[in-house]
Amino acid sequence: MAQLQPSNLKRWGLIALGTLVLLAAVPAIGEAAGEVVDKNAAKEFIQLNLFGIFFLFILGFLGGLISGFIGSGGAFVLTPGMMSLGVPAAIAVASNMCHKFPKAMVGAFKRYKYGQVDLKLGIIMATSAVVGVQIGIQIQKMILARWGPAGSNLYVSFAFVSILTILGIYMLFDAFRAMRSQTEDATSGLAEKIKNLRLPPMIKFGVANTRVSLWVTVPLGLGTGMLAATIAVGGFIGVPGMIYVLGVPPIVASATELVIAFLMGFTGTLNWALGGFVDIRMVLLIMAGSLIGVQLGAVGTTYVKEYMIKLVMSTIMLIVAVSRGFAIPTYFHQLGTITLAESNVVILTNISFVTMCLALATGGVIILGNMWKRKKEIELEAAAEAEAKEQRVLQHG
Amino acid sequence: MKPGNQARPVKQTILWGIISLAAYLFIFLNQQTVTHYFTQGGFFALVVLATALVFSMIHGAFANYLLEALGIRAIQKNKGGH
Repeated sequence: MAQLQPSNLKRWGLIALGTLVLLAAVPAIGEAAGEVVDKNAAKEFIQLNLFGIFFLFILGFLGGLISGFIGSGGAFVLTPGMMSLGVPAAIAVASNMCHKFPKAMVGAFKRYKYGQVDLKLGIIMATSAVVGVQIGIQIQKMILARWGPAGSNLYVSFAFVSILTILGIYMLFDAFRAMRSQTEDATSGLAEKIKNLRLPPMIKFGVANTRVSLWVTVPLGLGTGMLAATIAVGGFIGVPGMIYVLGVPPIVASATELVIAFLMGFTGTLNWALGGFVDIRMVLLIMAGSLIGVQLGAVGTTYVKEYMIKLVMSTIMLIVAVSRGFAIPTYFHQLGTITLAESNVVILTNISFVTMCLALATGGVIILGNMWKRKKEIELEAAAEAEAKEQRVLQHG
Repeated sequence: MKPGNQARPVKQTILWGIISLAAYLFIFLNQQTVTHYFTQGGFFALVVLATALVFSMIHGAFANYLLEALGIRAIQKNKGGH
């Protein structure tokens, strides 16, 4: 039997420590999400028909594909998706979270095998994100107590739209710059400055190939957690943060985000499941699609140039920001600031949901399209190589 | 390594496909009982987590072999290629 190397022992020690810290914080994590919902809500479990089964499978597949490729961002459409089938909010949030952690685990494992995961970075980020989630929840609760559910939804939507728009536009420009110059990727000026900030303890991240102060890594994890507690998708700040602040290559940042998603999803699910809110049937139907999608997305990262990760992520972020923008007038209506006809509220809600699905579909098309293109290029290269070899054989007899 | 040049694991795909399908059928043919117990909370939370993990392994293995059988494999880049 293979002996455990000291480096392996250290790695497993880190995992155990991270898991312990996360478990200690279990009671709060599950509330994460722009998803602070009433846990006293009636538990109703819907009858699943053929349409519902197919719908969940497809959403799961596309969500998995996006998550496997950019590390997160594939699950945001599932909660409203399940609610559109008539599932109560608490059950939808709980079931969404329960499908996230096995999906993230499978994706992280796959990308770990490709040498893309920085485990140490993932565990430090996840541990600090737990604290960030707590802060985010407190802010949410404060807003909920003062302005009620509509005020809370409005705050979530504003956070969504402003953060995603700013980061999305910046990332999109950066992706286009890399595309024009056809460079694999370049580190940001901010990351270079951060690397020079020698504030102990300095931590070396081997896979990410960077050395950064703990005083930078921890606040970034806090921000990821706070965003997770606000808009349900911490990865939308975690991945850009790792790229632009820590100087981590996009391929490593997106893979490491899966570790964070797994640890946070696992503990969050435990909290929801303790209350009996998880509908395992829906979880398994989503997983049926998402476990295929997440592995396809993970494989996809080996086909494309690194800027494609930025391109897909920024495109999704911007479309989701637009989608959430459509929901804002409804919240103003609920607050009594403006008056909308009920039919208009329904139309806006539907437009918002369809736009969200569009974000998912667009991401899927970009990923699959680029994989297909690269596969054809490889096949052509292989055919040309075989032909050249054949000619050499013929020439030399 | 170029994708599609290796043997395609058709047998494993079928085997894990059958196991995965059987597991899904088991849950969905007993969905009322499953939903009843899995939503009890408390100790059953661990059963929920364990079920999700078991399915991630069974169906994850099937998905892995399915992609490989379809010729969708990772392209190994040179080390230090980032």
